[in-house]
Amino acid sequence: MIANSKGFSAVIGTVFMVLVMMFLSTSVFLWTLSQNTLYNQELKEKNQVELDRLNERVTASSVNYTGSAGTISVQVELENNGASAVHITTLWVMDATVKKYGFNDTLDLNLKPGNKTYLTGENAVDVNIAGANATDTLNSWFVTTRGNNVPLEKDQSVIVAQLAQGIGSLAMDFSSFKYYEVTGKQLGSPQSGFSIPGDIPIVFSMYLTNLDEHYTKVNLTALSLLWLYPAAGAKTAKFPIAKVVNQTLATFDFQILEFGKPTKLFFGTDKTTAGNVKGTLCAANLLLYGKIGADDYGQNIPFVSVYVQS
Amino acid sequence: MRKMLKLLLRKRAVTPVISSVILTGAVVAVSFVVLSWTQYRSSAYNEQYGDAMDADIAQLKERLTFEYTFYNGTQDNLLVYLMNSGTIDNVTIQTVYVKNSTWFKTFSESDFDLKFFNETSTPSLDVGEEGYFVLSSLDDLVADTSYSVRVITKRGSTFDQAFIA
Repeated sequence: MIANSKGFSAVIGTVFMVLVMMFLSTSVFLWTLSQNTLYNQELKEKNQVELDRLNERVTASSVNYTGSAGTISVQVELENNGASAVHITTLWVMDATVKKYGFNDTLDLNLKPGNKTYLTGENAVDVNIAGANATDTLNSWFVTTRGNNVPLEKDQSVIVAQLAQGIGSLAMDFSSFKYYEVTGKQLGSPQSGFSIPGDIPIVFSMYLTNLDEHYTKVNLTALSLLWLYPAAGAKTAKFPIAKVVNQTLATFDFQILEFGKPTKLFFGTDKTTAGNVKGTLCAANLLLYGKIGADDYGQNIPFVSVYVQS
Repeated sequence: MRKMLKLLLRKRAVTPVISSVILTGAVVAVSFVVLSWTQYRSSAYNEQYGDAMDADIAQLKERLTFEYTFYNGTQDNLLVYLMNSGTIDNVTIQTVYVKNSTWFKTFSESDFDLKFFNETSTPSLDVGEEGYFVLSSLDDLVADTSYSVRVITKRGSTFDQAFIA
């Protein structure tokens, strides 16, 4: 039977045909499978991207709008509370009062997980909106590279600001009321300002915080001063606002008070003394004058008593 | 030598050999034709399937984020600000619909001009790029009514955003 070669070629032909068919179908099947794998891989990556986007947790708080005449300066505190790094590209500001909007797409902020950044002072973000004012109703949001919008949230400090409106926009930290003895232009070490020497040049200092309801900057001029006057007698003592750089008196130009930022102010010169009111208990008034935004501003803070040693 | 010559001169059974050779040749030729046709068909299928898969993958990678949508009631136009937040370049907008439950309007590619924020026109947005377009002649939108804008890309992805006129 083995030696009988009849029909042998048919068997070989069939086997050959089956092999060819198997080769073709297997190659098509494997190729299709590889394409499906590619698709599934891409689907997984897409899901990961969506997951990363959903897990982005950035909070923008302590928002403060300043500026006027079409340029709104946005000060904000940004914190990345998520697990992945965040890249922020654009800030949008919508002015609901004038129904206009603007954006700043030059931001290039990278926030690592847990990182906090303060966009205040020089780092504040400016947005141009024609006809907009900081006192308008403003809504704003950041846009991240992953496509999330981060709304800017106004915090509760506005309540404090509203309260401060009862007495004025500037609040004084009484515990920071100090004086420095002046030698030449150099300031000595700080001492409690409630009892001061009467016959040597001194400079007062204290922290003031701008709690303006509309978060507008206050700019104090050289007219501002600290005024000491006793309960009896016509003599008084005046200490003009001063600038101190590295514990040294410098020429005063102006003093900016940004919203919510405690700022140390100095009053006095290398020659100012309280010699006129020696041995008396004086009322101390802070006479502050300057601009709030584009408008004039004046405030008197009268709550300190100072004893001038004889 | 003589035997060999004798064998060559014998003409019996020559016809079956020739016919077998012809038959075998024909079968082999037809087999190769069938093989190459099958291979052609299968590679055409592969190519088609590959193209479809590539298109699906590219579509998956597309993502447009609406940064802001502003309806200007005085000029009757809608400004749509977008960012390519996907993972593929060349996102081209083909069609835009503005609609609500009772009304819709279609804008084809030639009806609007996609621009970068610096006002330069662009046919498409690459990854991370921001751009905007203006849809005009939207004078039949009713104030304080909710509408949605649907952007359809050339790859077939759709992205929606609601806005109030």
